[in-house]
Amino acid sequence: MSVAAIGADAHGDVDQLYVETRELRLQGFLLFLISDCVLFSSFIFAYLYLRNSGQGWPPPGIQRLDVAFAAWNSVVLFGSGATMHYALENFKHGNFIKYMWFLLATIVLGAGFLGGQAYEYNHLIFGEHVTWGGSGIFGASFFTLTGMHGLHVFFGVCYLSVLVLQSAAGVYTKGKFFGITAGTLYWHFVDVIWVVLFSIFYLI
Amino acid sequence: MNVQFVERLGAVIAGVAVAVVAFYALYKDWQSTGVENQVFKLMLALLGLGAVLALLAGLNVIGFAPPKVAY
Repeated sequence: MSVAAIGADAHGDVDQLYVETRELRLQGFLLFLISDCVLFSSFIFAYLYLRNSGQGWPPPGIQRLDVAFAAWNSVVLFGSGATMHYALENFKHGNFIKYMWFLLATIVLGAGFLGGQAYEYNHLIFGEHVTWGGSGIFGASFFTLTGMHGLHVFFGVCYLSVLVLQSAAGVYTKGKFFGITAGTLYWHFVDVIWVVLFSIFYLI
Repeated sequence: MNVQFVERLGAVIAGVAVAVVAFYALYKDWQSTGVENQVFKLMLALLGLGAVLALLAGLNVIGFAPPKVAY
């Protein structure tokens, strides 16, 4: 049976193929997130191993990272996680306007976090002279991990921006909104990874 | 009042707000079932934990506070 031959079922606009494959899509996306967890875990393990290799931390000539700005930047990102959660909830309950506002708030906060990271990088590179290649293990591990995370946040912001456009065009309906669910899962994943990175770089 | 104080104050206030929102959302969704809802609950819990950590960092309970320097 071709896709074109499958029409809407008795429950409205959701066709049978979508219902049957939704679980598959969810499992596939969760596998993707797990693979991303493995990626970050390997780098985090390497950082923790090198840090505890007995040379003292931070290495001589490098100051401990300031937690004040990082704490503020972190709650900006965590706040975006909360707004993304309520965006999904409002969509599920049919409140489209509120959904769009919360989604836009998520994008703004995510972009704000990226701006904060750029500010932190600028301070470290030009103020403290800590660089990716010139500051040994500290610079390499910090910029690699936070840079990878920042890249994930950037792609997340791009994805959410596409969601805004798709939502405005009416792509998603109350019975068919896996794209929004996937975006919410991804954004929460990005938040959770930052919880770990914030802890290992700034708190311990 | 310097920049660091403002940053810490912001982290404390926003941390409280985000933690309350995250744990309240977790409480409201606690009875939900299904794989994705279980994942959401886990992530909300970790989000709340992160907000608490940022809040404690803002209060200088955890984390490192370097000497005051100009940015």
